[in-house]
Amino acid sequence: MQTEFPHNQSAHCESGVAANLLSHRGIPLSEAMAFGMGGGLFFGYLPFIRINQLPLVTYRSAAGSILKRLARAPGVRLHQRTFRSQQQAMEALDQALARSIPVGLQTGVYWLPYFPRALRFHFNAHNLVVFAKEGDDYLISDPVFPQPVRCPAADLARARFASGALAPRGKMYYLEQVPESLEPAPLIRAGIGSVCRMMLKSPLPLIGVKGIDFLARRLASWPRRLGRERADLHLGHVVRMQEEIGTGGGGFRFMYAAFLQESAALLAEPGLEAAASALTAVGDRWRSFAVMAARICKDRPQAEDSYPAMAAIIHDCGARERQVYQELSAWLRSAPCR
Amino acid sequence: MPMEPLERELLELICTTCNLREVEIDRLEGDIPLIGPDSPLGTDSLDALEIAVTVQQHYGVRMDSENNSRVVLQSLASLAAYIREQGGAKP
Repeated sequence: MQTEFPHNQSAHCESGVAANLLSHRGIPLSEAMAFGMGGGLFFGYLPFIRINQLPLVTYRSAAGSILKRLARAPGVRLHQRTFRSQQQAMEALDQALARSIPVGLQTGVYWLPYFPRALRFHFNAHNLVVFAKEGDDYLISDPVFPQPVRCPAADLARARFASGALAPRGKMYYLEQVPESLEPAPLIRAGIGSVCRMMLKSPLPLIGVKGIDFLARRLASWPRRLGRERADLHLGHVVRMQEEIGTGGGGFRFMYAAFLQESAALLAEPGLEAAASALTAVGDRWRSFAVMAARICKDRPQAEDSYPAMAAIIHDCGARERQVYQELSAWLRSAPCR
Repeated sequence: MPMEPLERELLELICTTCNLREVEIDRLEGDIPLIGPDSPLGTDSLDALEIAVTVQQHYGVRMDSENNSRVVLQSLASLAAYIREQGGAKP
């Protein structure tokens, strides 16, 4: 069961898998473009949802939403299903591979043995593509690795049925149908429109630019409310969600800026180029916060480092992002549909 | 593998940035892992973030999603090679 598959390393698994699956079907797409067309950028601070006893902070849209949005493109049909039994799930995978179909899977990182032990953590929405089987091993294009990897069947089955938050329940998906080519302009516009709506118009104060301001206010009060030790724990968690977990840095802001830049060139739209530069500057600002936070967590603060100073930077990020999305919204209204 | 001047300069910068006072620079080689449990520096992902930003400030070389910091920060040698490749220079 061998299938040629174009493996490209990426920062973020879902965008990387989406780009690789489409590229395999003759529609070359960069990771950044998949992320942007999929409306991947977001912000949410949801303190009532706890991950490892720490509040949920997310810089991207819900797991699975990028693939779902791309699957809505004209001419694209994505087959997707979950399973109750491991045996059925693995049989369905083998049947698809026997038809030379590369299959996307949702998995739990903790159970994938090819991840270095230090990098395994309980995250159940990791996407990868299985493209072949050799003996009892599956050949996998895991987008966060530089080369394809191997995984024994028993381990893959366990990873597909990891329990806990976002349990994959054996979820598998593959492209059933794709058009000869994708018309990029409508998909770019739809992706940008979705991000602008979520970031500017959410009625919830925890979502979008309002959520960024909410995080800033809460963060300023952490040392008083939680005590220094727990405040630093919360802070380290925010930084990790922003700078690690496949965000590409700056809480996905650099990746979205790359999408805007690529779109600007593709559509010859200088307005998008300006938005890309502004968003890169926002990403740098988020990083300034993260570096200050890292120094505080590591107990080596500089004179200017403090919780109020970090809150001020986050408020500034929110204000700058609001400006970027307002300009993108204006571009959507003014630029002709093509 | 003996250290080249840029690698030594980077190591000194990293030690200052991350407040690594007990590192014996002269005993280390250019191909040491920079981050993680195998690194003799004892640095983790939060240190990696500071290193990436410090390198950007000192050499004008950006590490982001396009320039995969995981690969660049594998070792002192790979970081030095990346800075040379990007034409990075001290301000």
